[in-house]
Amino acid sequence: MIRVEPRDPATQSEGVVQGYVQTGWRWPAQPLARRTHGMAELTGPRDLTKRLAPVRGDLAGYGDKRAIGQLIEIRAHVVDEDGAPVPGALVEIWHCNAAGKYIHPNDDNDAPADPNFYGAARMVTGENGLIELRTIKPAAYPVPGTGGWWRPPHVHFSVWGRVWLSRLVTQMFFPGEPLNEHDAILMAVRDAEARARCIAKLVPKEKILIYEYQLVVRGRKATADLP
Amino acid sequence: MTLGPFFPREFAAGANDLTKGANGEVIEVTGRVVQLDGKPLDNLVLEIWQADAEGRYDSPGFLGWGRAATDANGVFLFRTIKPGPAPGRAPSINFLLLYSGLTRQLHTVMFFEPSDDPLLKSVKGSERLIAKQEAPNRYRFDIRLRGDGETPFFDD
Repeated sequence: MIRVEPRDPATQSEGVVQGYVQTGWRWPAQPLARRTHGMAELTGPRDLTKRLAPVRGDLAGYGDKRAIGQLIEIRAHVVDEDGAPVPGALVEIWHCNAAGKYIHPNDDNDAPADPNFYGAARMVTGENGLIELRTIKPAAYPVPGTGGWWRPPHVHFSVWGRVWLSRLVTQMFFPGEPLNEHDAILMAVRDAEARARCIAKLVPKEKILIYEYQLVVRGRKATADLP
Repeated sequence: MTLGPFFPREFAAGANDLTKGANGEVIEVTGRVVQLDGKPLDNLVLEIWQADAEGRYDSPGFLGWGRAATDANGVFLFRTIKPGPAPGRAPSINFLLLYSGLTRQLHTVMFFEPSDDPLLKSVKGSERLIAKQEAPNRYRFDIRLRGDGETPFFDD
């Protein structure tokens, strides 16, 4: 049975965060309790793709179905606590469109929807733990009711590592975006190196925009969980 | 109006029924999730992981994993098989919660009745981890994220 290390609080935001008012309504007031991990925590669902089928490996579309916005490619590697790639890992991805609007009915932001942008995909990593997604770059958008907090462009990822405790739900940011350093969610990750791991890197020397990113599901270099 | 993450409806739909092809007693697990002022939370995502009727995890005949989103009244519903006891753990269901206002995923666990399980002895407020049996095959597990009567959560 594998052993899973506790999360390092510096590399993982936690608690009530200044500037992120919803945390004051929802983050538990009591400290999180420690418990010994047993079979329930150190096993995980096999064959999840039978219940959650892969859907859409391309969110940008083609021809008259092409979504509005900047074409990009995202290369995301799912990596385990030992630094090894995780083949056959299920990854869910979603983000807003090039105007800042999500497909979800709860998003009442006045940005226009794009009928050619669905904005949600589910993919399975190959032998090398990699998924490659062709999409359009999401926009920054104002957070309602906060009087001036705009989320920087970001992409949501939800990943299953091998066991229950290696479940990761996070957000990927883009390099060089001026709003990154003002985002209450990203900046709540205190360790600078851990924060940098939340930001994709533009693959150098390529003539197209390819963003590379690691989804480290657990361990010392784990990607911060950012629901 | 929530901040996001606007978890896609499509991803939550249809994943709350774990009973297909599985052996054992079919039960419903439901509850309401509320925040500090008692306000119910809409489109909060819950995932569960549990053993099969014999107490085995990751068993070939039972996926053991499910996902549900709360409705506008903050209510979630799972249809599943009542798990058997696993080594060192009374029959229980692991829960994971995802929502805006949570800086990381929240972990908790639901038991079906009081027992000698070490978790129930060691955790403050552990009586809130025990579901209320509303009907022979229906258990209610209300979750309060913060405030009086707050559900215990784990640093998993």
